[in-house]
Amino acid sequence: MIDRLRLLAIGLLLIGSSLIGWGLYMPAKAALAQILLERAWVRAQQGDAAAKPWPWADISPVAELEIPRLHQKNIVLEGASGDAMAFGPGHMANTPAIGRRGTAIVAAHRDMQFEGLGQLERGDLIVATLHDGSRLVFRVVDLRVVRANASGLDPADAGPTGARLALVTCFPFNGVLHSPLRYIVLADRV
Amino acid sequence: MRHTQTNSSFGKSVTGSRIPRRLIAVLGFAALFATAGAAQTQMSPSCAPGLMSRDETESGTLLLRTSTPGCYLGAPRVAADISIEIAGPIARTKVTQRFENPANSWVEGVYLFPLPEGAAVDTLKMKVGDRFIEGQIKERQEARQIYEAAKAEGKKASLVEQDRPNVFTNQVANIGPHETVVVQIEYQESLRFEKDRYSLRVPLVVAPRYNPPPRAVVADNGDSPRLSLTDPVPDRDRLDAPVLRPEWGKMNPATISVHLEAGFPIGDIQSDSHAVSIVRSSKTAATLTLKDGQTATDGDFTLSFSAARDAAPTVSLLKERTGDGDYLMALVVPPSADQHVQPKPREAIFVLDNSGSMEGESIRQAKAGLLLALGRLKPTDRFNVIRFDDTLTVLFPYPVPATPENISNAESYVSSIAASGGTEMLPALLAALNDETPNDTSHLRQVIFLTDGEVGNEAELFSAIANKLGRSRLFTVGIGSAPNAFFMSGAARAGRGTYTYIGSIDEVGPRMAELFAKLERPVMTDLAAHWADVNDAEIWPNPLPDLYVGEPVMLTAKTAKLKGTLLLSGRLGEKAWAARLDLSRAHDAAGIEKLWARNKIAALDDSRVLGADADQIDKAVLQVALDHHLTSRVTSLVAVDVTSSRPLTASLTTRSVPLNLPAGWDFDKVFGKERDVDIQHADIPAGLLKQLDGKEHAENAVRPADAPMVLPQGATDSRLLLIAGVMLTALALMLLGARRKFAGMRS
Repeated sequence: MIDRLRLLAIGLLLIGSSLIGWGLYMPAKAALAQILLERAWVRAQQGDAAAKPWPWADISPVAELEIPRLHQKNIVLEGASGDAMAFGPGHMANTPAIGRRGTAIVAAHRDMQFEGLGQLERGDLIVATLHDGSRLVFRVVDLRVVRANASGLDPADAGPTGARLALVTCFPFNGVLHSPLRYIVLADRV
Repeated sequence: MRHTQTNSSFGKSVTGSRIPRRLIAVLGFAALFATAGAAQTQMSPSCAPGLMSRDETESGTLLLRTSTPGCYLGAPRVAADISIEIAGPIARTKVTQRFENPANSWVEGVYLFPLPEGAAVDTLKMKVGDRFIEGQIKERQEARQIYEAAKAEGKKASLVEQDRPNVFTNQVANIGPHETVVVQIEYQESLRFEKDRYSLRVPLVVAPRYNPPPRAVVADNGDSPRLSLTDPVPDRDRLDAPVLRPEWGKMNPATISVHLEAGFPIGDIQSDSHAVSIVRSSKTAATLTLKDGQTATDGDFTLSFSAARDAAPTVSLLKERTGDGDYLMALVVPPSADQHVQPKPREAIFVLDNSGSMEGESIRQAKAGLLLALGRLKPTDRFNVIRFDDTLTVLFPYPVPATPENISNAESYVSSIAASGGTEMLPALLAALNDETPNDTSHLRQVIFLTDGEVGNEAELFSAIANKLGRSRLFTVGIGSAPNAFFMSGAARAGRGTYTYIGSIDEVGPRMAELFAKLERPVMTDLAAHWADVNDAEIWPNPLPDLYVGEPVMLTAKTAKLKGTLLLSGRLGEKAWAARLDLSRAHDAAGIEKLWARNKIAALDDSRVLGADADQIDKAVLQVALDHHLTSRVTSLVAVDVTSSRPLTASLTTRSVPLNLPAGWDFDKVFGKERDVDIQHADIPAGLLKQLDGKEHAENAVRPADAPMVLPQGATDSRLLLIAGVMLTALALMLLGARRKFAGMRS
């Protein structure tokens, strides 16, 4: 009886610690990926067209996103698939490129790069730097919680200034389980 | 008792472990589902819905480059019929477009179409089966919402939107497999009158434009200069229509017919652009059709006619009575300029666009025109030459006297210029308008700008012209088969000069000669209209613009009741000029109201260049456009079929109809070598339009149009894993602790 109990405890301990390890690994991987991405981005800006964050990388950075209030910079990747979003914010493929006419949608995890998204306020600035070095400034105009399948976002919506940017993450911010709700920060091109 | 106690404590532990176990199971499943869910919400195909990558392509599909590299789109065919009714100085054009869906899926056709400068679309009709559906003028956003809603509901719908005053887009939603939808729009414009000839040009292509990349600009707001970021072409996506490669053959055939009722005996009629057959039905009327039957839409159609000898009217007055008042159009040809006025010497700044879009015949025309102009300079004149692409060269450090030596230097420089690069027009404009001697009244300062005007940042350029003009006058010379007339005439208006169009190398001599006549001879200034018996008249344009030799005074006015006389006055060189018009002699004509409204909108838009409040302008333009049923920047025409034609389960993909490249354009020069690599590799066989039929499957369309967009999962499982992990570990430790306690108790 006691040995069985001990066996169970050790088994639980193993599973538990590997879960913890996995749970720690995901954000660590993302943090490391962002550092490597950042370096590759700088090299790319300096003219190294073949700059890759790591040798087997098959993701393509599209912009650097700076949120001054959060003191953070992230490299945005093309595609908001799970693959890309494991490394950084993803630009949804069926929305216009950042700065193009319409609403560009960038999604990231609430427990990774967009952790502090809830602290943003109307009027805050978001700065996107594109491949060619051009800096596009957006100003936050709306903050809202929506259902994932009824976001009210329209990629064709160009807003009053011709280009909008929507940052999307899961809501509630401190939630544990997957949620059908999303938090949207909507910004207009300045 | 002890035993029981232990048992119960053990029992507690077991119970305690059961709950976490269940929890683990639940959490484990949740994690599994969450992972599966995350996989489902992935936007994994790299192309947007309805687009195809090269690998997914089946043979015989016409692929068009899109804004997503590596993704392509199929193209529906379009035919167009253009029928023009000319009554007096007003031309009304009816464009009938046929959209054919070559695919087995439901598509949305998107077609950019060009309109002449100054024209406004006022009618939209759609033929679905045997029924015509008439479009309504709505505020732009509202029209788009109506269209999008109809599209999502599977109804046939069409939307005509204005992108630039001379570029409209026509979207037709829910064209069924192999179905034909006919869309008809009508627009009206006034004929150009110059050198005793009336002329009309019908643009048939939207030329690809060079849109400068966004950049930082320094905005100087008085005390502190501020760095700001501007995209000179905020709507670049809309204007990027795919262009057919010449080897694919030409599409979009158009037929053209013209019915002319001049109101006076007609002299000669001709078209410089197309071979036409002319049938004269009476002294004052004629019918024109294309000799070839139809034309590819790769160049503009032009038409001009003159009055028979001694029959030219010097005054034409037309009126239209509507529910809300009387509208008047007056066209007065002033007497020829006095030949004895001694012309002032000139300071001529020639600006030559040698960007890539000028490659081919255009740059030859422009250089020929510029060399002619240099030859016309007199020794008392001063001049300079500027050339630009995305770089800029100013030949002389300051305007130099037109000595034979200076002219010969300039001529050899101009001859050496070749076309390549982008079109960065602003620095060249600013260099040309940079006047070192702004108070010099001894010379007339004239900037002569030779370009195809293929830029997308017109507004920025207009405001630079308006702000920096000073004593200079800007004369634009449009070169090539499809110059951007909106920019050309807008720049000339802002620059208080004129716009000259040169369509072919044969026209360089005569057109430049006409321009020289304007440049070298005095103009009519200080034009004003005085009403004898009307005090509520609203006249557009206001103020009346300066006139150059051979140009008529043209004004439109609205008043509650037309009566009495209208006095026009002005200065012709040093002499006063006046004309008295008896309004009771005005003829009735249709379309004057729309002409007036269009002039008013143009004037309102011009005031933006000069710094008027944008919101106020938008409101005013909206009101005028709604009142008079016109499309504009802020209004669109939308037509929706009442019955749904597309089964909601069938999907809809958006396609752009490819534009033909204007004649004389070198395809590779327009887009640069590296940009069309994808197309060359796409390996598209010739005659693929025939092959296109029936080869494309509906499965190529990925997403039903009415399915909502789903935002991706914005959280990882790391927290869940951490919590589960911590709980399991804690439980294990608890178990171990309990075991030790239990063992201790037993011993």
